[in-house]
Amino acid sequence: MNKNIDLNNLQNEGVENVPMQERRDFLKMGLAITGIFAGGSLFSAVSTFNSAHASDFAKKYPYKPHYSMVMQQHRCIDCERCMDACVATNHVPKVHGAYRTTILEKETPDAVGGKREFIPILCNQCNLPQCTRVCPTKATYKDKTTGIVLMDIKKCIGCLTCQEGCPYNARYFNEEKKAVDKCNFCWDTRLSKGEKDTACAHACPADVRIFGDLSNQEDRVFKIVHQIEKAVWVLRPEAGTRPNVFYTKG
Amino acid sequence: MAHHHTTPSLNELVTGVANRLKTAGTGFYLMVFIAAAVVLASAGTGLMAMIKGHEAYYNVYREVPWGVLIATYVFFVVSSTGLCLISSIGHVFGVQDFMPIAKRSVFLSIATILSGFFVIAFEIKLPWRMAIWNVISPNLTSNIWWMGTLYGIYLAFMFAEYIFLLMNKHRPAVICGFSGSVAGIAAHSNLGAVFGLLMGRPYWQGPYMPIYFIASAMMTGCAVILFFHILGYKINKQEMSPEMQRALEVTTKIGILLITVILFFTTWKLIAGAAGQPAGAYPVVQSEVFGHHAFVFWFFEILLGMVGPLILFILSKGRNLKLMLIASLSMVIGIFVMRFNLVYLGQSLPVYYDLGVNEFKEMLHYAPSVYEWIITAGGFGLTALLFLIGEKVFDGHKVEDH
Amino acid sequence: MTIRSLCITAVAALSLAAGVAVAASYPEAPIVYDKPVKGVVFSHKTHVEKGLACDMCHNRLFEQQAKKAQENKDFVMESLYQGKYCGACHNGSLAFASNTRCATCHIGVKGEERSKTGGKTEKKGH
Repeated sequence: MNKNIDLNNLQNEGVENVPMQERRDFLKMGLAITGIFAGGSLFSAVSTFNSAHASDFAKKYPYKPHYSMVMQQHRCIDCERCMDACVATNHVPKVHGAYRTTILEKETPDAVGGKREFIPILCNQCNLPQCTRVCPTKATYKDKTTGIVLMDIKKCIGCLTCQEGCPYNARYFNEEKKAVDKCNFCWDTRLSKGEKDTACAHACPADVRIFGDLSNQEDRVFKIVHQIEKAVWVLRPEAGTRPNVFYTKG
Repeated sequence: MAHHHTTPSLNELVTGVANRLKTAGTGFYLMVFIAAAVVLASAGTGLMAMIKGHEAYYNVYREVPWGVLIATYVFFVVSSTGLCLISSIGHVFGVQDFMPIAKRSVFLSIATILSGFFVIAFEIKLPWRMAIWNVISPNLTSNIWWMGTLYGIYLAFMFAEYIFLLMNKHRPAVICGFSGSVAGIAAHSNLGAVFGLLMGRPYWQGPYMPIYFIASAMMTGCAVILFFHILGYKINKQEMSPEMQRALEVTTKIGILLITVILFFTTWKLIAGAAGQPAGAYPVVQSEVFGHHAFVFWFFEILLGMVGPLILFILSKGRNLKLMLIASLSMVIGIFVMRFNLVYLGQSLPVYYDLGVNEFKEMLHYAPSVYEWIITAGGFGLTALLFLIGEKVFDGHKVEDH
Repeated sequence: MTIRSLCITAVAALSLAAGVAVAASYPEAPIVYDKPVKGVVFSHKTHVEKGLACDMCHNRLFEQQAKKAQENKDFVMESLYQGKYCGACHNGSLAFASNTRCATCHIGVKGEERSKTGGKTEKKGH
C-alpha cells in the first residue's frame, strides 16, 4: 500500500457513520464512542466496559430499587404537561422561580434539519450529592433505602447553601412550606403510595421521561443506560456528583 | 496614662463612666443617635422581611440566592478575624510593638462579629431553627456548620479575653487570645471553604478560598485597627503616646505587606481564570476584568481597596495619621465591595451556561433592594454604635501597665 | 435562444407572478396549534416558499379555517403516520417524516408564548 493519508483534510464523519461492527468492537475494548455535540461536551455517562461486563451492579447501584430517569431528549416537544403534572401533584407554588422540574430550550441552527432541542431538567438524585454534604442540619439527606434526596423541612434553616451547591439548579426556597423544596421523584405523593412512576413521567405524551430501576436488568432504564448503540450522557459530569438522570437521543 | 494597681470598686467604675459620658460633646451624641437610628431601622426592616417572607423584600432569586447580606456578613467576620489575628501578634505572641492596640482591637473584634451575626440573622430565612437543629442534628461534612459552631466558640473566647484584659489578668487573657485566634482561623477558613468546596461553582472551587480568606482577613484587620484607633483618639481628643504611635506605624507596615500579598493572590486568581479559558471561570473573569462588572472591580476592589491605600500608606510612612485615616477608610469601603464581588461573581455564571440554552445564555445579574441596603447599613450602624459607646465606657481602651 | 427555452421562461415568469398573488393571500403569521398538545407551529410562508400551491392541502387535508383540524379527535401523531394531515407529505419521502425532528414543528409552550408576545423571550431573574 502506498497511500498517503492527508491528515489535515480528514473529515469528521460523526459517530453515527461508524459501522456497527466497528462500534461493537470499539465498545468491547471498554471505550465509549463519544462525540462533541453543538454547544457542550458530552460523553457517555458510564464506562461501557463496566456497564457491559461488570457483575457487581449492587455496588454501582446501591439501592433496590435504584430509582433513575432517562430523558429521550430528541422526543421532547415542550408541551410542558410534565411541569403541569408536577405542580399539581407536589403543590409547587405558582410564583416565578418556583419549580421542581422545567424544560430548557436550545436553538440548534447548525444542526441539519433541526431547529431546536428541548432539555427537561430536574433533581438528578445524585449518588454523591453536593446539597446534602453542605447542609448544616441534615435538613436535606440522601435516603438510605430509596437513594432519593429528600427534605426534612422542619430542619431547614434557609441558608440556601444547598442551592449554591447543586450543579443542576434543582432547588428553590418554598415560601409556603418555609423550606427549600426540590424534586423527590414524587416519593411522598406517588411512589410511597404504590405508584410505579413519577407524575412527570406519567404525564409525558412523547415517552421522553422514562422512570425506572437501574438495579434491575430487565428494566427499561437499565437497558437504555447499558446499551452500546446510542450515546448516553449526564449533565455537568465535571461536578462529580454521579447523577441518576441520564440523557440520550437519536 | 493611668496606673491602677488595685481593682477599682464598682461605684468608682460607674462614676467614671457617668463622668465620661457627661463630658462627651454634642457631636458624639449626634453620632450615637444616628447609629442607633440606623440599627433600629435595620432591625425593623429585617423583622418585617422575616415575618412576611424575604421574597417580597430582597432581590435575591433562585439562581442568585446569596446577595449583599451574605457579603456584609462575610465582610464583618473577615474584619473580626483580622482584628483578632493582628492584635494577637502583640498580646498573645509577645511582640511588644503591637501591645497598645490589643484592647481596642479585641473589643472591636467582638463588635464586628456581633454586627455580622446581626446581619446574617436577617439573611437566613429561618434563623430560629438554626439554634435548635445546629445542635441536635449537626452535619459534620458541612462547612457552614463548622463555620457557625467555630464562630460561636470564637466569640466566647474573645469575650473572655476582653474581660481578662479589663481585669488585667494577663495569663488567662493570653490563653483565651490564643484559643480565640485558633478558633477564628478555623472558623474563617471554613467560611472560605463554604464557597471553595462547591464542586459545581468553578469560579470559587478549589483550596484558594480558605487561604485567601485568612490572608484577606489580616489585611482587613490592619485597615480596621488603623481606622478605629485614629478615630478613637480624635473622639477622645487625646494625645497619642509614643508607644501607640509606634503600634500604628508597625500596623501600617504589616498593612502594606498584606495588601501586596492580596494583590498577588488576586493577580493569580485572574490569570488562573483566564489561562486556557477554563469553563465556568473564564466568562466570570472576563466580566470582572473587561465586562459589566469591570468598573466595580477596578474602582472599588483594586483602587479604593488596595492600590490607593497602598500608595497612601507608603506616603504616610506610618506616621501621618490623616493619610492613614483616609487610606484605612478607603480600604474598608473597597474591601466591603471586594466581598460583594466575591459572593456575586461566583454565582453570576448560570450552572447551565455551557449547555447553551436560551434560559441561561447570559450572565446573571443582581442588584440589592433598598431593604437589603437598609439591613446592610444596620450592620455598620451596630459596629459604629458599639465603638462609640466602648470609647466612653472603657475610657479610650487605655492600656494598663503590667 | 430557442423557442423552447422562451416557453420555459414564460411559464416560469407566470408561475412566479401566480406565486406572488398567492403570497398576498395566505396568512402571514404562523398558526400555532394548542391541541392536543401545546405549541405546534405551521407556517404558510415556509411552505409557499417551497413552491407548494394552496390546493395541495386545502381543502383536502386542512380546511381553510385556521386550527379547525385540532377539533378532530384523530388530529394526533398516529394519524400523521398513516398519511393524514401533515403526514400526507411528511412521510419521509416528500418531506421529513412525522416521527423525526419533533422540535421542528413542536415549538412548545415557550415558542407559543413567544409567538403571542411577538418574539420576545421571557426575562429570567430580575
